[in-house]
Amino acid sequence: MDKAIYLAMSSGQNIMSAQAIHANNLANANTNGFQADFAQARAMGVYYGDGHQTRAYAMTENPGTDFNRGALIETGRDLDMAVVGDGWIAVQAPDGSEAYTRMGSLKMDPNGQLLTANDLPVLGDGGPISIPPADKITLGADGTITIRPAGQPPEVLSIVDRIKLVKPDYATLNKGVDGLIRRRDGEQQEPDASIRLQSGFVESSNVNPVDELTEIMTLARQFEINVKMMKVMEENSDAARQVLRSS
Amino acid sequence: MNQALWISKTGLSAQDTRLATISNNLANAATVGYKRDSVVFEDLLYQIRRQPGAQSSQNTQLPSGLQVGTGVRVIGTQKEFSDGSVQITEKPLDLAIVGRGFFEILMPDGSSAYSRNGQFQINADGEIVNARGLLLQPSITVPDDAQTVSISSDGIVEAQIAGQAAAQTLGNITVTNFINPTGLQSIGSNLFIETAASGSPQQGEPGIDGLGRLEQGALENSNVDVVEELVSMITTQRTYEMNSKVISTADQMLQYISQNL
Repeated sequence: MDKAIYLAMSSGQNIMSAQAIHANNLANANTNGFQADFAQARAMGVYYGDGHQTRAYAMTENPGTDFNRGALIETGRDLDMAVVGDGWIAVQAPDGSEAYTRMGSLKMDPNGQLLTANDLPVLGDGGPISIPPADKITLGADGTITIRPAGQPPEVLSIVDRIKLVKPDYATLNKGVDGLIRRRDGEQQEPDASIRLQSGFVESSNVNPVDELTEIMTLARQFEINVKMMKVMEENSDAARQVLRSS
Repeated sequence: MNQALWISKTGLSAQDTRLATISNNLANAATVGYKRDSVVFEDLLYQIRRQPGAQSSQNTQLPSGLQVGTGVRVIGTQKEFSDGSVQITEKPLDLAIVGRGFFEILMPDGSSAYSRNGQFQINADGEIVNARGLLLQPSITVPDDAQTVSISSDGIVEAQIAGQAAAQTLGNITVTNFINPTGLQSIGSNLFIETAASGSPQQGEPGIDGLGRLEQGALENSNVDVVEELVSMITTQRTYEMNSKVISTADQMLQYISQNL
């Protein structure tokens, strides 16, 4: 039997992996700050021995993450912020390392520590930010947090800290298994003063649902073609068996 | 089996939860003192199928690996404690808190609950109670010969008694605040209870130390933004449809392979 059936088989498996990536993007089409993952297929030639070089297996990989911006959604909440243009909000991952996110929906724990909506401490100039009891919290365009301390008149304002905003080179970033963006070398990035925040807004997921769905449909058809190839291989080998039996 | 089936299933259940939250917000759009919920999503962990940078042979490396995400989950709902609009009713025992804080309500079991709903009434003993008959704390008793009850913006309750020139002071209404109101637990009936996340209750005189003032004859409407909820409903529905489309596509692929091989 022609071993080409294994080409079709591995291709089918890889198509399912690529579909899983696109399905994950679609499942997160409403997750604020989510960044879509790319999927691509690469030809992995296995050429040795005599004969025609026809054995090129397909391999699915995700070469990176789509760092395009999502849409800005107005919420009017004091503790919601969106990064305008390029840039990231620095947070502390559960393992203590520095990670970056664009999910700018913040909240406070009972000790006044500033957290993202998924409970990661937001980093300031000197580590996690704690906010004293306040009547009003304002996030400035450069990440400066200004508060009116509880019980103070409106003219008494104090600056608490500044949210660490960074702009690393995209080539140095990758997405970890927890969905957070980190530098590949694990180093910390210096803050960048040119990044601007817009408070009262969150950034939506940057998934383009039409793209993802079209991609899934295309992959489904490709899968069917591969199944058809398997069927053809089977018919070929069946035909060969018949020829050999009649002799 | 195709992993996309399970991934899209997480998408469907997340959108389901979101729709339930939206419908609850819309159902309470006219509930006095209701604070809307918003759902927070998070992407689930990623699985590394092939490590980026692994050796593909002794001298070559894979330029990129294969990391597959496993879907989405709801990590929680966030109560949003922004102020609702104020509606004037002119009823003497309707109170609105303008600013931060809650009314303290005595529960039947002796514990305290907190509410922004200021629709108070008087029970048979003359005590000020909420619509469910639960006592406002600290309790205030209105004498049965009171003509009018007036409540000042800093919480002093006075009654005008028939035949007396000076008003009689009945007590003070206090306002309670929490460092993190978002951490309060909703128990229904417009009531919230303290949790470890909310911090401990801090009582004070209305209008002092950053607490809200009281407004007599007014009520605070819910802070549900109906237009925003309807827009969210559209995005939820469309995302739901696309995720179910992925499931049917994955199903057709499996059907095709089982019928053709």
